[in-house]
Amino acid sequence: MTAPTLAIRDLTLGFRGWAGQVDVLHGISLHIMKGERVALVGESGSGKSVTARIVLGLLQQLKTARIGGLVAFEGQDLSTLSARQRHALRGTRMSMIFQDPTSSLNPVYRIGSQFHEVLKRAEPGISAADARRKAQAALADVAIPDPARALDSYSFQLSGGMNQRVMIAMALANEPSLLIADEPGTALDVTVQAQTLSLMRALVEKHHTSVLFISHNLGVVREFADRVYVIYKGRIVEHGRSADLFADPRHPYTRALLSAVPRITGGGIPEIDDVSESYFAPMVVHEGCGEPGEVG
Amino acid sequence: MTALLSLDRVSKTFTQGRHEVRAVDDVSLDVIQGECLAIVGESGSGKSTVANMILGIYPPTAGTIAFRGEALPAARTLAHRRAIQLVQQNPLSSLNPKRSIGASLRLPLDVHDLGPRAARAARVGVLLEEVGLPADYARRTPESLSGGQRQRVAIARALACQSDLVVLDEPTSALDVLVQARVLKLLNDLRKGRGLTYVFITHDLSVVRNIADRVAVFERGRLVELNPTETIFSDPHHPYTRRLIGAVPVVTADEVRLRDRLMENDNERA
Amino acid sequence: MKRTLFILLRNPLSALGLFLVALVVLSAVFADFIAPFPTHAGAVVDFANFNKPPEWPYVFGTDLVGRDLFSRILYAYRISLLLGVVVLVVAVPIGVTIGLVAGYLGGWTEYVLMRITDVFLSIPPLVLAMSMMGLLQPTLTNGMLAVTAMWWPWYTRLVYNLARSEKEEGYVLAAEVIGASKAHVIFREILPNCVPSIVTKMTLDLGFVILIASSLSFLGLGVQPPTPDLGSMVADGAKYLPDSWWLTVFPGLAILVAVFGFNLVGDALRDVLGTGQ
Repeated sequence: MTAPTLAIRDLTLGFRGWAGQVDVLHGISLHIMKGERVALVGESGSGKSVTARIVLGLLQQLKTARIGGLVAFEGQDLSTLSARQRHALRGTRMSMIFQDPTSSLNPVYRIGSQFHEVLKRAEPGISAADARRKAQAALADVAIPDPARALDSYSFQLSGGMNQRVMIAMALANEPSLLIADEPGTALDVTVQAQTLSLMRALVEKHHTSVLFISHNLGVVREFADRVYVIYKGRIVEHGRSADLFADPRHPYTRALLSAVPRITGGGIPEIDDVSESYFAPMVVHEGCGEPGEVG
Repeated sequence: MTALLSLDRVSKTFTQGRHEVRAVDDVSLDVIQGECLAIVGESGSGKSTVANMILGIYPPTAGTIAFRGEALPAARTLAHRRAIQLVQQNPLSSLNPKRSIGASLRLPLDVHDLGPRAARAARVGVLLEEVGLPADYARRTPESLSGGQRQRVAIARALACQSDLVVLDEPTSALDVLVQARVLKLLNDLRKGRGLTYVFITHDLSVVRNIADRVAVFERGRLVELNPTETIFSDPHHPYTRRLIGAVPVVTADEVRLRDRLMENDNERA
Repeated sequence: MKRTLFILLRNPLSALGLFLVALVVLSAVFADFIAPFPTHAGAVVDFANFNKPPEWPYVFGTDLVGRDLFSRILYAYRISLLLGVVVLVVAVPIGVTIGLVAGYLGGWTEYVLMRITDVFLSIPPLVLAMSMMGLLQPTLTNGMLAVTAMWWPWYTRLVYNLARSEKEEGYVLAAEVIGASKAHVIFREILPNCVPSIVTKMTLDLGFVILIASSLSFLGLGVQPPTPDLGSMVADGAKYLPDSWWLTVFPGLAILVAVFGFNLVGDALRDVLGTGQ
């Protein structure tokens, strides 16, 4: 069996502040196999976004951060890499998409020259003409109607939905094996969000890209991910295939979270505790979903 | 069924340099006493412009807005201000970080001279308890409260005015889903308990389904559909309404069936 | 407050700044007790000990009429600080009020107020002060007046920009929708949010006011003898360089210590209070 694209084992994270250490992650484990779409879903402050930052190697340099446990990317322990090697991975082997597409793009450069920079990360000597050809093909892939014109535009001249597509095209341009998507499309209108999500889904399927999908929106997770980890206050509380987990949520926290989502079929607003001792109950793992190397 | 607030052929045009942008285009609707009317749309639909005109932040370019049958002037009187209140989307920004919770809640009591001066501090405590917070939170700063608690304070501030109409501008979209459920519940209970009327501005149709009596759907400044919530979700008339419902990310199989059925209808009609 | 002090003391540079500021302020306040020759602040002559290099009991040496430089520097600090505080106490409320009103109200009020501010800002500060002192009498009061006149527009600029961004915050909208008066919105809602930036700038400015006042008296336009002043002490001593070096070096160092100290503290406050622009 080949190594998973991403394997996290017993990851802990604490921040040392002037009032002592604040623990953010209490030993979480997750894995993503090649071509799998895995969601990490939780509320604000659950630790889902810092997990993404650790995988990207962005927290390791921080002096106040205390990181423990293992993060392995394609079988390679990230902690054995230097800061420079981790930097070399970003934008080439792993890439990311953030919440607000318009502020992620630099307004002073044309889309075309930003695309060129992205392609240079993987192929430093790429010529402007080659880069442009590749960029046009990538933009056509995300169904942008006039790629040549989009490349000559600035981000503020395009709509939020167009910018999101540009971000997706850039993130996938170097054929990364792992895509980290942190709340993609949250800043967009619902109809645009729905379109870009199905577009992204089709593209990663075509390229066999593994995806770590970070979100607070259960509906979006259900429609995008194969497998789901639910995270609560730095602990994974439930793990299962999307279909199983949404049809049969077992952990008290997952149940509360799911029943709190208003339904378009009606049913009113339920009475739910926003904090409860039962949310700290032990992790529930659905059948056939153990971590590799463990008896699932 | 009396109309508390009526918009009659209201339009709003903004001038940007030489461009004229018609943000709201010839909209007429009534808000009925005691109901929760949802105004739904995406960015650029004009829903926020409508809210701002109701609140008197700027007047309409054409048409009239009447409150209890009386046309509202461009410069609102204090009585009008008291009668129509607002809960904003971002509770972090809507409470002054440099003033205590108590001072923020006291302001409407002082401005509108509500109740005897000596009793106002106690009134602030009662208001906090009404939204499910301890009375001694009055001494705290907004910084020390969670997002949900801040939004409760913002709701208490709207209640302090003893207003008749509350404009809720995306009141839960910045909150986590568990907190959202509790805040929505509170809003629902307050409306029933105090006979309030809500104008609920949102883009989230699943929230609308569970809190609104009627739904007004806006697209590019126009009111394209206004119907009871039941009708909107069982037999939406306008294709845009169906598109909006079709885009809602859902969590149960029942919802998927509903969505698919509506989209099918859309294809048949098209 | 406790937290601010804690963070300030943890950083070596800001701790040094706090130390220097404390040194200057304490010297000024307790000059009467510290100074070995308190009377030397006035028109005293002691030709037996004139122009002496640093030696006990004259740790900084004596000037050309035999007065103890150390004592005179302590009293000069008192004058400089007083000048700085008075200038800021007058200039800051004026500048802040104009900035708040222009930033919040907008429209033609903003236009008129900000154009007046720009006129003041466009005149080089020393030139304005020099021409004012030339028209009036070069006294301490007029010196303060001149420095004040060129100081308030900077606070107007600062607060105007702050007010314009605070105006977009939800809490301002909330107060307006409630029906609060413009005065309430300006002074009770917006102003408290500008205070950290204003305090930071005031700390930085205390150093600069001392520097400007010294420059004016260096040019003979500031504090008049026999009142001790760091700028005029440097100017008087400059003629006797390099032989009587202590006449210029010690007052010069005194200016440096004060300006440097207030700058370090101001910079640190800017970081701690998050008021960087």
